[in-house]
Amino acid sequence: MSGLIERLPPLRWTAALLRRLGLRGRSVVIAVPFLWLLVFFLVPFLVVAKISLSEAAIARPPFTPLLEWDGLRAIVTLNFGNFAFLFDDPLYLNAYVSSLRIAFVSAVITLFVGYPIAYYIARSPEGRRSILLTLVILPFWTSFLLRVYAWQGFLRSNGVINNFLLWAGIIDQPLVMLQTNFAVYLGIVYTYLPFMILPLYANLVKLDESLLEASADLGGRPAATFFHVTLPLSMPGVIAGFMLVFVPAIGEFVIPELLGGPNTLMIGRVLWNEFFSNRDWPVASAVAIAMLVILVVPIMILRNAQAKTEES
Amino acid sequence: MNETLTVAAAKPWATGSERPFVRIEKITKKFGDFYAVDDVSLDIWKGELFCLLGGSGCGKSTLLRMLAGFETPTSGRIEIDGQDMTGIPPYARPTNMMFQSYALFPHMTVEKNVAYGLHRDGMKGDEVRDRVADILRLVKLDAFARRKPHQLSGGQRQRVALARSLVKRPKLLLLDEPLGALDKKLREETQFELIKIQETLGVTFIVVTHDQEEAMTLSTRIGVMNAGVIVQVGEPSQVYEYPNSRFVADFVGTVNMFEGRVSEDEPDYISITSPEVGGEIYVGHGVSCVLNQQLWFAIRPEKLRVSRERPEKEHNVLPAVVEEVAYFGNLSVYRLRLDTGKLVQATKVNLSRSEEDAISWDERVWVTWGDTAGVVLTQ
Repeated sequence: MSGLIERLPPLRWTAALLRRLGLRGRSVVIAVPFLWLLVFFLVPFLVVAKISLSEAAIARPPFTPLLEWDGLRAIVTLNFGNFAFLFDDPLYLNAYVSSLRIAFVSAVITLFVGYPIAYYIARSPEGRRSILLTLVILPFWTSFLLRVYAWQGFLRSNGVINNFLLWAGIIDQPLVMLQTNFAVYLGIVYTYLPFMILPLYANLVKLDESLLEASADLGGRPAATFFHVTLPLSMPGVIAGFMLVFVPAIGEFVIPELLGGPNTLMIGRVLWNEFFSNRDWPVASAVAIAMLVILVVPIMILRNAQAKTEES
Repeated sequence: MNETLTVAAAKPWATGSERPFVRIEKITKKFGDFYAVDDVSLDIWKGELFCLLGGSGCGKSTLLRMLAGFETPTSGRIEIDGQDMTGIPPYARPTNMMFQSYALFPHMTVEKNVAYGLHRDGMKGDEVRDRVADILRLVKLDAFARRKPHQLSGGQRQRVALARSLVKRPKLLLLDEPLGALDKKLREETQFELIKIQETLGVTFIVVTHDQEEAMTLSTRIGVMNAGVIVQVGEPSQVYEYPNSRFVADFVGTVNMFEGRVSEDEPDYISITSPEVGGEIYVGHGVSCVLNQQLWFAIRPEKLRVSRERPEKEHNVLPAVVEEVAYFGNLSVYRLRLDTGKLVQATKVNLSRSEEDAISWDERVWVTWGDTAGVVLTQ
């Protein structure tokens, strides 16, 4: 590697420059994702934070500037009214609570569906595991949007499921499934299932088989072995999978929009409406910031769980 | 076997008076086309410390795992304490196992690890606490009860594993390479501890090991395994002094082996002509063999004597040159080149602290042995 650097002049010059700046290889490697996050995450976040503190205006862009020159000094106008407004109108609080609830219930269902699948794959013979994992990831090859649209085709009153049930004579009137919370749960569980299965699988596949044998040897029946050994040891995977479903599901917009009904209240939809229908960017930004604050807690839990996994 | 062995009456395997505690009857285990264990039958009596000894892949661990119930025999049956084990899952067997990797639950403290088996049996409260405390005292770990496995040293983990497998007072304790991961000093200490514990609790032990020294020190009897078959079963001294095959002679301890043919076959002695010796080997007892039959003469290094002067003997005296001397503290090992070109090993106990006149490199010496010191092997 160092040979390559020595031979190519541009690389050599860059390396010399970095050295002069006191940067070693390690810091350069870390700098790449650091810069990425800085440019594409922190800066946009600060922009949104800035907008959330301004007032809506009929202008382009549709909000007042924070910083103004009156010729002599800079005047900073901070408007916390947008955040206060979130507490005034129960819509926002309801939307947050409803989003948290839908995301939580979906994550729980996903966990119950995903755990057996991950367990089964992890316990399969090594050759079959990669095939099964590919099957789990396979839906990603089709656009997420298309797949959610496809569910519309399944769930609507003259859709595949209803037609089949009518044909089989199980029902005599089509079931209302589309535009219900049921469809939203189904959509979230379906979409996020791989995010549950993969971390769980990664954890379960490492589980030392001799621990299961030790438990059986000490008198543990299969159920006892599962609850006393497998489950506690897979907790980091459970938490990681749960958070990977729970966190993005809170802000989910496409699924409630396409599958949910008018009374499916989720913060992502509220945000979208504030932004595009109301064109109230400051309130929309305040909604986004508030959502982020709410998400900090579960994200901390996730990070903690990951740190614990690395420790053991 | 060339001699009738006198065995004490307290050894049930010799008298066959008691019913065996563990009966392994014609057990075979196949993995695909591979016979891991091939038609093994073995009886083990109560209170024994039985060692299954063999190299890696000889089937000893598979046999142990079938006793624990982790593997199902392809054919044959296992009986423990009069009960047929066929179809009985591990959690319902009267056995406990100490795993080679120890398999301690990493998320539980030492205490909880040990208590695990008791809890599974529905035991609660003070009884569990007392039993755990007792067994932790026995393995000298009472001070570490609250630690997690990763906070312990290898030796301590090994003792937790032992405590965990003993706490349920199993009728049969299975130990898979129990001392493998320990350093020599600790291993020797633990060997004696194991024997002490085994005698205190009266549990029957079956130990799997590849370490012949360990098998020698620990066991009441040894079963030597090779390629899925038990080649010899016997007490340590029996297996060491009267191996029944070249494999056993070679695997258990060090041995010098001479190939040859029977040249004289008398009721009270035989002679073997061996080109490797450059003459005759005189064996001072009868052997069931025929003239001109091919066989092997095996003799342990400590049974060879090395001297500068030719001993006043007619038979079994060979000239040699010292090629190497290795000093081990308690003894010295000589590698000697016979005039025929064959290398032999001889050991000598270092009786005094410094021997000025010790036999050294490149000296011409004589190698000799007693007429009944070696073993004649026909297979």
